[in-house]
Amino acid sequence: MAYINVNSTGKFVKLDLVATGADFSSNISAAFAANANVSTVPALQDVTLNATPGLFRWQQLDSASEYVLTTPSTNSVAVTLVLDDTTFFTGTGSTPGIFALVNAKTLTYFRLYWSGTATGSKYVQGKGYLSALAPTVNPGSPVWTSPITIEVVGDYEQGTV
Amino acid sequence: MIRDTLLANLTLALNGSGIGISSELPWSAGGEALYSKNMKKVYLDADQEAQTELFNCLNPADDVIQREISVTGYLAVDAKNPNQTQIETALSKLSLARSAVANCYIKEYTVTNSTDDDRLIYEFTYRFLTI
Repeated sequence: MAYINVNSTGKFVKLDLVATGADFSSNISAAFAANANVSTVPALQDVTLNATPGLFRWQQLDSASEYVLTTPSTNSVAVTLVLDDTTFFTGTGSTPGIFALVNAKTLTYFRLYWSGTATGSKYVQGKGYLSALAPTVNPGSPVWTSPITIEVVGDYEQGTV
Repeated sequence: MIRDTLLANLTLALNGSGIGISSELPWSAGGEALYSKNMKKVYLDADQEAQTELFNCLNPADDVIQREISVTGYLAVDAKNPNQTQIETALSKLSLARSAVANCYIKEYTVTNSTDDDRLIYEFTYRFLTI
């Protein structure tokens, strides 16, 4: 047993985005094969991956407990980050900046590395729409920070580097 | 260094006010501080700096680091016959000098006073926060 440790060099959480307009639905890994269009989101402060199956519950007179069946899941990835001007306004290669991805409601492919990108590292990937962008700044904290949520379309995919 | 910026500003601001400013640090000789020997002259100490994390990121290379810089200064006047108008004018100029420091989002100034024998000693501290 080993904890998923993210506080040592080479083990940091990493979130990559790709949104070139090409359709990678049948092979999401192909989106991340070409580094020129992969936009790495820097300065992540926290990451939450939500995977919540829908539930249908019912009760029967011959049982003291409820029955449950699953219905389609609601999946999302929520992050908070300090805004970097290149990632936020410009993007990388053919992938636009984060503001443009949210503003244009662009379908975006994402890959979240749990603990670094070395061979054998695990990741989860999928596609979704960026939402919940809420940049904020104040005189006592004079850098822009924002939450962002990736509302995932369909299932997550698991993978290993 | 912020001390240099304050020194340049105060040299101009205090010119002709009757209160001088020294480029020397407030060192001591024979147990007596220089500012205590030379009254009506402002002495600024060297910058004190602390670096703390403003925002902690999952990758420490992306951490947003905040620098806190403080500069302490001293002014001694005759407690028996203080020229209150002159002192208040000087203290006002000392307070305004913090605005001369650029690129800081917090610029604070505090002043306290104490008596030492027949001297009234003003100790003032500038505090700046920057990224």
